[in-house]
Order: sequence, then C-alpha cells, then structure tokens
Amino acid sequence: MKSSDTSSAEPSNDETDNSQIYASQSEGSESGRFDMSSIVEVPRWQRILKAIDLPVQFLRIGLLVLIIWAWESRWIFKGWSPFGFELFPEIIPLFQGVPSEAWDFILDIWDDSTFWADFWVTLQEALLGFVIGSGLGFIVGLLLGSFKKVAKVLSPFLIFTNAVPKIALAPILILWYGVDIASKVALATIIVFFIVQIPVQAAVSGVDPDLDVVATSMGATQFQKFRYVVIPGILGPLFGALRLSSIYSILAVVLGEFIVSKRGLGQRLLYETNNFGMGKAIALITILAGLALVFNAIIGMMERRFLRWQDTEARGKVVSL
Amino acid sequence: MTNAVDIENVSLVFGGEGNNPVLAVDTINIAIPKGQFVAIVGPSGCGKTTVLNMLAGLIPPTAGSVQRNGKEVDGPSRDVGYMLARSALSPWRTALRNIEMGLQIHGVDKATRRERAHELISLLHLDGFENSYPSQLSQGMRQRVAIARTLAIDPDLWLMDEPFGALDAQTRLTVQGEFINLWERSGESSVIFVTHDLEEAVLLADRVIVMTARPGRIKSDTIIDLPRPRVIDELRFDDKFKEAEHRIWKELRDEII
Repeated sequence: MKSSDTSSAEPSNDETDNSQIYASQSEGSESGRFDMSSIVEVPRWQRILKAIDLPVQFLRIGLLVLIIWAWESRWIFKGWSPFGFELFPEIIPLFQGVPSEAWDFILDIWDDSTFWADFWVTLQEALLGFVIGSGLGFIVGLLLGSFKKVAKVLSPFLIFTNAVPKIALAPILILWYGVDIASKVALATIIVFFIVQIPVQAAVSGVDPDLDVVATSMGATQFQKFRYVVIPGILGPLFGALRLSSIYSILAVVLGEFIVSKRGLGQRLLYETNNFGMGKAIALITILAGLALVFNAIIGMMERRFLRWQDTEARGKVVSL
Repeated sequence: MTNAVDIENVSLVFGGEGNNPVLAVDTINIAIPKGQFVAIVGPSGCGKTTVLNMLAGLIPPTAGSVQRNGKEVDGPSRDVGYMLARSALSPWRTALRNIEMGLQIHGVDKATRRERAHELISLLHLDGFENSYPSQLSQGMRQRVAIARTLAIDPDLWLMDEPFGALDAQTRLTVQGEFINLWERSGESSVIFVTHDLEEAVLLADRVIVMTARPGRIKSDTIIDLPRPRVIDELRFDDKFKEAEHRIWKELRDEII
C-alpha cells in the first residue's frame, strides 16, 4: 500500500510518508487517490453473527414452539368449519397423536431390535433403489443424449413408460419380485430412473459443442469425451436430479411396503396407524423424513465438492489482464 | 522435402441429399512448406473455418485431396493443434488443467504434463493464475490459456481460427506479440491462421491468402516480405507493412463491399 504511492509523494521514509497521505486525503483528497488504509476489516465475530442472522433464528424457533404447542394442546384437532364447510374436520381422540407420545416412542426405539430390523430393511430398499435407478438413469440418459439416432428410436417408448403412474405398477411388481425387498427396490428403481434419465439426457445436449470439437481435434476417443467433456458438463443437472431421487426413493419403498411386505418402516407405519398408535405413527413419519434429509444432505455435500468451480463462477470474480 | 500441407482441388459441399446443398469451398489449391506462417483472410462465411476443419480431420472434403506431410488426412492427428475462435475452455478445469487437457487425452503421465503446462504458463505470462477457473480470468487470459492448451501437445501444424477476434485492441496486440514470439521460437511449426482482420494477417504471416465470398475460392496469394523476428506493435507503423496491407486490401475490398 505504502510503497505503491511513492509516485505521488516524496520517496522518503515509509512511515511518515504514509501518515501524510492519510492526512491529506481525509481533507478532500488532493492527491486524487483512494486511501486503502481507510478500509477497516469487519471483525470475525461480527461476520459470524451476520451469517447466523439471529432475528431469523428467533422467528424460526418461535414458529416451531407455536406449532408444537398447538399440536400438543390438541388445538389443531378441534376442527374448523368456516361457513358450514368442513375445511378441517374435528378429529376424534382415538385418531389423535401428539408430539409427546411420539417423543416417548422415539426414546424407546434405541433398545427395540425389531425397530432396527425394520429400519435396516427400509434403508436397504431405498439405497438399492436409489443406486440402481439413478445409475441406470445416468447411463441411459448419457447414451441417449450422445447418440441421437438411438434416442429417436426409443423416445416414444420412454415417453409412454414415463407417463405410467409408476405406483400403479406396484401390485404387479410384488407378484413378480415377491413380498420381500426386491419388489420395493424395483419400484424405487423405476421411479428414480426417470427422474435422473430425463434431465441427464437433456443436459448432454446442453454441453458446449466447442468443447466437443476441441476434444475431437485432440484425438479423444468416445470414452475420453464422456470422461473429460460430457460428464463434467452435466454434473449440475445430475446432482439436482440425484437430490430429488434421494427423496423419491424413500417415498417409493414406503409405498411399496404399504401394499404388501413383511418388514420395513412403511409396513410398521401402516400397522401402527391401523391400530390407532398415532404417536408411534407420527414418530415413524418423522424418522422417515429425517432419513430423507440425511440422504439429501449427503448428496448436497458431494455436489459442493464436485461443483466447486461453479462457486467461483457465481461469485464472478474477474481478474483483469 | 514434403510440404506441411497440400490442398489439391478441394471442394466441399454442405448438406447433401435433398436439403439444399451449399457449395462452401470451390476447388482450392494451397501448398504450404514446412515452417511457413500462412494467414487466410476473407469475408465471413467464405469457408475459412471449413478449410481448417478439413485439415484438423474433423470433416472430409467432398472432392480433392487434403494432405499433411505427404499423407492423406483421415482423422484428427496428435500433431495438429486446433484453436477455436471462442476460447472453449472447460469451465470446471483450472487454467493449469485446461492446458494439460490435450496431453491427458494423449495419455501423457501427470508429472510430465504438469511440467509442460507450467512451462507454458510462464511463456504466456499467466503466472499466479494456474489455479484460477476460466470464469475468474479476463478474456485475454482465457485466450492465452487456450493458446497454451493448443501448443501444449507440441503440434507441428497450428490451426488458428480467428483466435484473437474477441479481444479488445490493446489486449489483442499483447497476445499477438506473445503468439508470434512463441512461433518464431518453435522452429519448424507451420501455422494456418484464419482471420477477418487484414492488419493482423499482414503483421503476423509470411503469406496472406485472400478467399472470396461463398463459394470460397482463392482470390490472391501474397508473400509478405517483412523481416523476422517481428516486433508487431512497431511494425504497424512501418511503411513497407502499410504498403503490403494496402496491396492486399484492394483484393479483399471487392469481396467485402
């Protein structure tokens, strides 16, 4: 800072030089230069405080407390019928479940080996469905995006298959794959497949064609083009699709378990609900949501790691020549 | 000695079979001895880029023969460096890794290609920006990274497609100077430099070929007899340079206006 200003001031000793520059500038800057030392860095604790954004946190916590209170006090079960229209029906006590009951159940879970057996089954189904479905969706999307002729042949079939409400396939899949995990994995696979295949295929066409020309002129093989051009080019849309898939794979297996199954959290949830174990049902739903959030967070972490370059792009920090 | 490039009676037709075939290049002949710097100028759409694409082995000619070092071009070659008008850098690769890309495709081991990339970084004055992503670089720097990427594979034929077209005047002058230094030091490399900027063509090249508007034919072929090494920012004001530029401009003017 100091030494670069020597052109305007006498190149004498640095310390006194700097103080002079500061003084002259604070009186209207005759030297016509901006004094960098007037920039004061914001202290670390202030930056952290700003990132946390306390008012937002307070409002969030307040809202959460309000929701739990309205629920726990059974206020929400009283029903509301504006203009005689039963918008929120009154819930009979047998069908009411409150957070404290759910909490009691969650506390008991840790020693309950049957719960963990069910948890493991559902986790396995969802993970397998997610991995197989998104893996196949990725490969098929990549190939169809790259080989337009093949895509043209297959597109009506894919469009029709995607139009099928996939849940409608569940009873058939159970007949074909049995009542164990295979049928749920199959259902999740089908649902996840399309969530990944369609955006991946579209993204391949969106990759900068110049990059392909450059790679081709360098003598890249088709495999190298996939590796160095296409795959890195579609990671953004791919991760978006994977986030969605992680949630939908859990949705799919829970639905599959509802229909027929021996084990699993969905099966347990159906059982509890049918037996009016409302607190337990709420706890199970919360656990399933937690599982989906963990899935989603893991994908998000991978995304941030692989797409670090997009961070820099968003900031748009441009260095001049 | 065989020529670096022999283009004999080459024509190229786009979009055959029904959908209005367009004659892009019409029976052109160009022979380029090894080590020559040839600029091709002409109005846009005159088939300049098409000629480069054929030499890069990206498209085959409809008729005639395209040869490099006496052999028919039948696909991309490791000895050809092709630089596009847009820098076409991979946004997910740092400057250093963009420069390495060709070497990576050619299967060069990591240590060797890193060393080569660092060498080019300093030759093109990109020091300190090795780990910057293209979005963090200025236009001029991106173009330099693209030059480095093209030259990293040590090609003996450099195909440059309006490489400095997107740069502002001052930046262009700097990058042109760096480029010509690299070439003058490279020894035997031949360059085909496509541009629509006649001044640039005359400043850099040993020989300027003017192409006609579509269909692309060769209008004139002029040797630029200016001494090397050239200091291009000074050469611009040289009378011999101005005279050469004016002579070729008369040819080019008919095609543009």
